[in-house]
Amino acid sequence: MGKVAAKIKVMPQSPEIDLDDLQDRLEDSLPEGAKINGVERDDVAFGLVALLPTVIVPDDAGGTEAVEEGFAEVEGVESISVESVGRI
Amino acid sequence: MSDQHQNLAIIGHVDHGKSTLVGRLLFETGSVPEHVIEQHREEAEEKGKGGFEFAYVMDNLAEERERGVTIDIAHQEFSTDEYEFTIVDCPGHRDFVKNMITGASQADNAVLVVAADDGVAPQTQEHVFLARTLGIGELIVGVNKMDLVDYGETKYKEVKSEVTDLLNQVQFNTDDAEFIPISAFEGDNIAERSDNTEWYDGEILIEALNNLPEPEPPTDAPLRLPIQDVYTISGIGTVPVGRIETGIMNIGDNVSFQPSDVGGEVKTIEMHHEEVPKAEPGDNVGFNVRGIGKDDIRRGDVCGPAESPPSVAETFQAQIVVMQHPSVITAGYTPVFHAHTAQVACTIESLDKKMDPSSGEVAEENPDFIQTGDAAVVTVRPQKPLSIEPSSEIPELGSFAVRDMGQTIAAGKVLSVENRE
Repeated sequence: MGKVAAKIKVMPQSPEIDLDDLQDRLEDSLPEGAKINGVERDDVAFGLVALLPTVIVPDDAGGTEAVEEGFAEVEGVESISVESVGRI
Repeated sequence: MSDQHQNLAIIGHVDHGKSTLVGRLLFETGSVPEHVIEQHREEAEEKGKGGFEFAYVMDNLAEERERGVTIDIAHQEFSTDEYEFTIVDCPGHRDFVKNMITGASQADNAVLVVAADDGVAPQTQEHVFLARTLGIGELIVGVNKMDLVDYGETKYKEVKSEVTDLLNQVQFNTDDAEFIPISAFEGDNIAERSDNTEWYDGEILIEALNNLPEPEPPTDAPLRLPIQDVYTISGIGTVPVGRIETGIMNIGDNVSFQPSDVGGEVKTIEMHHEEVPKAEPGDNVGFNVRGIGKDDIRRGDVCGPAESPPSVAETFQAQIVVMQHPSVITAGYTPVFHAHTAQVACTIESLDKKMDPSSGEVAEENPDFIQTGDAAVVTVRPQKPLSIEPSSEIPELGSFAVRDMGQTIAAGKVLSVENRE
């Protein structure tokens, strides 16, 4: 079993959320064994910007569930969705 | 070279040679720089792993990507004369299946790797069913490791017949499957026709890849846009956000949100912060609909044309495959179904048929229970309104993952929908 990279789309609660701070909070919420490997930003619409962190988790860690749950609890997060997963 | 793009899944049982095949394809199409290959080949030989160079190169590239600052999942790309391919390399663990069903990067076509010396193995079966569920169009079957069976035609035919049975079982049209005897390890029938398989006169792998049909964006289907989030933006009003799965959304369209059952006229559409007159499948958009308030619609709603609104299921019949369950599933079981952006508890109201894995025929009508490894037809009753479509009509809105106890229990596709009154 190798490792899996998951690109996760994080939507902020509003266009006013400070994305740098939000990014730090996401980093702090990661479960053990997972790490963020680069964060892209995607302009969505009407001032909303999605954060797209790529999270590396072990293939045998049972999916991205723990990371998703962690992210969902973070202040300022409206929703989480896994965009794509692939082995690295 | 072409700018036509394809997402290609590489599927198959563990150790049947998926990574080696990916490495070989990247290598033969010149997608890995020669000096990188050389460097890794030398290292491999030093460590006594000479011969494993392609798999070894793949491992090293993975490590390098992980060390890098950014990592793009769509990293494994190669071009043939006809297409630019991005490889979707499926993670081994079953818990990623949910992501593959609800995620954005779905594969258009797939290469199924089956080792000639091992034949159809458990994951071969699982992946083929998933490929079918996820709407893979064509399947290229690489009967791999032909070098280990002395390039024997008899062995190849044996494996081909096993796989054909498996495809028939999940009702995968075998006319859409191309079988090729290959050795990813030695490079036989990948980019060049091999002298070792003179009995074979079909397409080699690169030819089969070139001959795949062009992926057609589902623009002809009615609009289906599952709502991801709903915002209130000052100066604009209510803004639902989501990705268009099928059809086209134009400014001025009269749309309907289901199951919330409200609708109105599309006033504005924005994509990448720019106003656009229309949006197409794959586009991530925010839009504004006249007369819709923030509390009128929610995540999990599907937006469609008012004259062809998204279906809302009172019940639906589905084909499922049980991937892992600690005990048995009986009528009355109520796990959470993940379909597009919706997560709804649904009761499996009846177990209608159990399929015989070896023949694909109905093994048992109305079975008392089903368990891990079983394929079955079941009737499902959502506990809250759920918009879902028959997979035969709108495949993008017709598949789901079933989760319980933090695990993906099953995956399935919708056969028919009994609409809610």
